[in-house]
Amino acid sequence: MSAATIALLGQPNSGKSTLFNALTGLRQHVGNWPGKTVEKKEGSFSYQGKDYNVADLPGSYSMSANSDEEVITRDFIASGKADVVCILTDSSQLERSLFMLADYAGISVPCFLILNMADVAKDQGKKIDAASIEKKLGIPVMLFSATDKNAYDQFYKTMERAIKEKTMLNVSALEQEYEKVDGYSEICETLSDTVIPGYTPMWLTVKAMEQDKVVTAKLRNTLPDSTQKTVETLVNQSQGAIATGGCKFAWIDSILDGAVSESRTKVKLGKLDRIYTHKFFGKPAVVLTVLLGLIASFIPALPVMGIGSGVDALNAVVRSSMVEAGTSVFLTGLLCDVLIQSLSYVIKMLGFVFGVTLIFGLLEEVGIMARISYVFDNTMGKLGLQGKSVMPFLVSFGCTMGGAAGARVIDNWGQKVLTIALAWAVPCGAAWAIIPMLSTVFFGAGAPLVIVALLLTMLLHMWLTAKIFGRGLVKTEDKCGMIMELPPYHKPKWGSLMRYVFGRTKDTFFRVVKVVLLVCGIFWLLSYGGTSGDSSVLEKIGLAIEPVTKLVGLPWQLFVAFIASSVGKEGAIGVISALYSGGSVGTVFTEAMSGGATAANLNELLLANVARPKALAFIFAITFNLPCVVALAATYQEIHSVKWTAKIAAYYTVTALLLSCIAYHVGLLIW
Amino acid sequence: MSLNEVRENTDAIIKELKGDARFISRITSIGLTPGCRVSIIKNDKNRPVLLYSRDTMIAVNRRECAGILVSEVKA
Repeated sequence: MSAATIALLGQPNSGKSTLFNALTGLRQHVGNWPGKTVEKKEGSFSYQGKDYNVADLPGSYSMSANSDEEVITRDFIASGKADVVCILTDSSQLERSLFMLADYAGISVPCFLILNMADVAKDQGKKIDAASIEKKLGIPVMLFSATDKNAYDQFYKTMERAIKEKTMLNVSALEQEYEKVDGYSEICETLSDTVIPGYTPMWLTVKAMEQDKVVTAKLRNTLPDSTQKTVETLVNQSQGAIATGGCKFAWIDSILDGAVSESRTKVKLGKLDRIYTHKFFGKPAVVLTVLLGLIASFIPALPVMGIGSGVDALNAVVRSSMVEAGTSVFLTGLLCDVLIQSLSYVIKMLGFVFGVTLIFGLLEEVGIMARISYVFDNTMGKLGLQGKSVMPFLVSFGCTMGGAAGARVIDNWGQKVLTIALAWAVPCGAAWAIIPMLSTVFFGAGAPLVIVALLLTMLLHMWLTAKIFGRGLVKTEDKCGMIMELPPYHKPKWGSLMRYVFGRTKDTFFRVVKVVLLVCGIFWLLSYGGTSGDSSVLEKIGLAIEPVTKLVGLPWQLFVAFIASSVGKEGAIGVISALYSGGSVGTVFTEAMSGGATAANLNELLLANVARPKALAFIFAITFNLPCVVALAATYQEIHSVKWTAKIAAYYTVTALLLSCIAYHVGLLIW
Repeated sequence: MSLNEVRENTDAIIKELKGDARFISRITSIGLTPGCRVSIIKNDKNRPVLLYSRDTMIAVNRRECAGILVSEVKA
């Protein structure tokens, strides 16, 4: 039983996530709000022997009903699930960021105010008198810097005071502002008896005047028809959101009057921002930043990858000792080929996820991600995405799992899923390791043409996929153009960031291991040929459906390799090599997972057995097949939806075969 | 004139906001209200307009800018 539940409320870049991570550390849980495409973050912490729950409410700029995030946020607060609401503002931009508090005013739940980023404000030469603000607001107010370890004790005390005294925001000065607006008093009078739990008549009146969809609908349900008509007429005559917005800022001005002193200087863009916002150099600078980030990701990744290789080395030792001990081939295979092999594979990939989460989490925290959003807003907007989506796309050229992990900086769930779905179409490092080689074997000097064709197909694929999935994932209201702030650069909070990165990597590990073991186990069983060299289930299926797969240009050997490539692309070559050199299908699985050894005369083998159109079909099929089982698991980890993960996976399998079919028939025309 | 027509390095005062309730709500919540003074920092074709207002650097998509009517302030 916890002592209290605290809800964190604040605009984007108010430092809400940093505070949430610092408070909860590894004690957090990320999921989705029931039935909604909005991420739900909860956690807990102990202070002086008492347990507290924390809810990190989805960030947005206001408490209006502009998005699912905002509706969820205010429903959660009004429902009374939180004992106290911690409202976060950015001290360096108090005038603007206090808007959230002004919009909150009128919700009858105790709250306190955190003026975060006090360090940034101080650097800008601003002096803020928190005591004077506290006096005017009637709730605890404190200057705070989420990156300062010593500030937390004061934070806990402020929080406890708010919980104990149930401090309510004093809204009388704000109400006086509203009363100056035509129609306000009349509507408020009419609504004075209207009870919607959690909201005061003032708040309801203001939202009605702003033509808030949810409030309007609620009033329509509760009010008698005649009153409803009166309210509607009054609302239509009023100046609506423009007038109430003016009131909110007038109130904020009166709160800050005398409480903030600053040395005003003319704003200029910093050196870095002059490059990022440059007409010509902006985009190259962003691409360069992401690529450098990608390279930097390998530094923290290497030790983890080393552990993965260590596990791999263990494999040989275990295998030989099991063979010596006379353990059955089946058991040896299960332990070595499935369990140890999969673990080694997952750990190697996980190193990359760790690196990407750290480096790109860092870029997000210091404020660079907001610049990336700005530069690519126009381009990505055409796909219904945020500018930030460019980052996962670029990372996916290295590793799709890293791209999926990187997509977590996208704050809209639907756009995040769409970004990952599109990132799958980007050929990853493993694909780049085999495509040029295959192309050269079959097409010689024509290989670059094949690669250009693949890249063009990738762009077309992404565009089409955005059209197909976009409708279900990105609502029209989220497609609206960017209106966002570029926060000042600030120092990261290393402790909080590292805890977050370790926490996420740990979660990813367990979830990915589960999925990978399951998929690999099934695959291994299918390809297991028994001890006497019988043909495996996979081979039988391959042969049985060969008449169908031949239509898309894939004889059964290539089709089995295609299926194997959905476990790991690097293995596809090993699989073909094994199958065409007369090896058994039983080795297919090991080949796929380990990136297996290839026969020395592979080129001759391939040329002797596979005609050019079929080769072209195969290249397209594996390039656009689902990236690998680990990427699949990572996608599930990021989007928390079995339905969408399965949808995307099925879509990629089908489209890969479709592209293969097209490539095959184009090939038949050419050769 | 609308916001995207203001030259770089000039100041302007917001006169009027035009658009549906949702647009007004979004633009108000980031601090752009009638009477508010803004400095245009960057105004390149195909990029959001970059402006400074209420102590904040704000990027506004060019399409949304069309709904923000302003008058230039002579320096």
